[in-house]
Amino acid sequence: MEPHSFIGIKKEWDIVGARQLGREIARKLGFGTVDQARIATAISEIARNIYLYAEDGKVTFETIEGMNHKGLRIIASDNGPGIDNISQVMEDGYTTSGGLGAGLPGVKRLMDEFDIQSEVGKGTIVTAVKWLR
Amino acid sequence: MDAIDIQEDSYKDLLKLYIDTEDEKALYGAEKISKSFIKQGITPEEIVNLHIQSLQEMYDDMPQAYLRGLDFLLETMISYGLALQEYQTLREKQLEIKSELKIAAGMQKTLLATTVPVVENLQIGVVSVAAHQMNGDYHHFITGKNGDIGIALADVRGKGIPAALCMSMIKYAMDSLPEDTMGPNKILKNLNRVVEKNVDPSMFITMFYAQYFPQTSKFLFSSAGHEPGFYYHGDTKNFEELKTKGLVLGVTSETDYPEYERTIKEGDMIVLLTDGVTECRYGDNFLSREEVLEVIQQHMHLPAQEMAEKVYKHFERLQNFHLRDDFTLIILKK
Amino acid sequence: MDLQVEIMEQDEETAVLAAAGEVDAYTAPKLKEALLPLTKKENFLVKVDLKDVSYMDSTGLGVFISALKSTKENNSSMKLVHLQDRVLRLFEITGLIEIMDIEWGANG
Repeated sequence: MEPHSFIGIKKEWDIVGARQLGREIARKLGFGTVDQARIATAISEIARNIYLYAEDGKVTFETIEGMNHKGLRIIASDNGPGIDNISQVMEDGYTTSGGLGAGLPGVKRLMDEFDIQSEVGKGTIVTAVKWLR
Repeated sequence: MDAIDIQEDSYKDLLKLYIDTEDEKALYGAEKISKSFIKQGITPEEIVNLHIQSLQEMYDDMPQAYLRGLDFLLETMISYGLALQEYQTLREKQLEIKSELKIAAGMQKTLLATTVPVVENLQIGVVSVAAHQMNGDYHHFITGKNGDIGIALADVRGKGIPAALCMSMIKYAMDSLPEDTMGPNKILKNLNRVVEKNVDPSMFITMFYAQYFPQTSKFLFSSAGHEPGFYYHGDTKNFEELKTKGLVLGVTSETDYPEYERTIKEGDMIVLLTDGVTECRYGDNFLSREEVLEVIQQHMHLPAQEMAEKVYKHFERLQNFHLRDDFTLIILKK
Repeated sequence: MDLQVEIMEQDEETAVLAAAGEVDAYTAPKLKEALLPLTKKENFLVKVDLKDVSYMDSTGLGVFISALKSTKENNSSMKLVHLQDRVLRLFEITGLIEIMDIEWGANG
């Protein structure tokens, strides 16, 4: 397995591709069924954000192999409009698409580590890590 | 019966018991386990996973199709788990807000506190109830040096916290006015200036201000767009609407308030209210002012305070004990 | 109940905004959103047709008060037409009828 793999997100089907690739990497790393499902859902959420708001972006997967722990890092980056008020989108109950999406707070819950950087007019980078226990 | 052990591994035991015997005891155990799962914050997908694992440990020959089906179920549970966690966080936040509101409501009560003056030959009854925790209605009484009394009744647009904040402003503006040396029209003109300068453009306040002089039984009043009260003439047994002119507070800085006067005779009565009383809706119906009058008439044989309470209880029941708007009723009886 | 707000006619100088339903704390923002921008154009006249508004509470009045303030700031004007009795009464009690351009009744 390559340490870096990525999927470009342009159309809704790409979300499915990103899930599939992410799940495969997670399985190979040794994640159980529940964590695989959580990782796939997290990928869906961030990939859907790219698809809905940025039109063009990619989801990159990195495996982390340290001394005592292994993990999967997911990086979603886009050149979209960016997020003006990050605190607001990280608030529970806040969703711009009006749907039932778990949104970014959901991604934070599904993963172990979460970070977001965004600049209005330039784009957004979401990084999330799940550790293998 | 022995308390059912609800360790995590007992899920498998209970499942096995149920599969083998269809015993109700196992199902009762399942109920207990599910409650303990909730308490521990265990999400639906983890329960499905536990279920799959238990089945696999019990049967080596689980059909592949069946296992895949269960994996599919697990996948559909992920978003439910997230929704559950979000709900729990929001519930904690709600409790926080509730306790903050409770403190604020307490502060407001202290701020609003007013003593109903004791006046010879005049009974005063008051009921003021907030629809939510905070009250957007305001009333207060003061007694001047000569024994005359001032009565203020105000209603801030809307209800809840914004209305309550606005009401605090009125309270402090009133405190800074030499109320007992000013007539109702001057008081309203002054307050209007304060409100106009300080509130959001869509905010406004209606206010009724009256002075009563016990020596002469004169009742002087002005209104800033407030819901008209009623004057009951004891001699003719007729209700008259206290019609007034005067713009609500906070719309324009240049406005004047006419002053009106009545002499209260024995057997007369004055009813002052906020629109929480007349805007009372039940089901799809609106209450008409005639109906409000009917309710007042039904109870007018009672002492003023008791009457105010009875009228309130009537409207409370009419709205299924769920007030839509702040409700204030002041009754003066001679 | 719901509120529908719709711009019926619009040209360079005037617009007719028709509202239908009930204006209360929940629906007032919808009215405000449609009405306020129309009061921000200089020398513009916005007519608000309220013939199908059966109920309005103080939040609704607040929208018209802020619209009135906006017309003064922007040198535009607003006229309310076809008010039902129940709604008209609110404008009477609050004294707003004296300072707003209001026509009522079916032929107003």
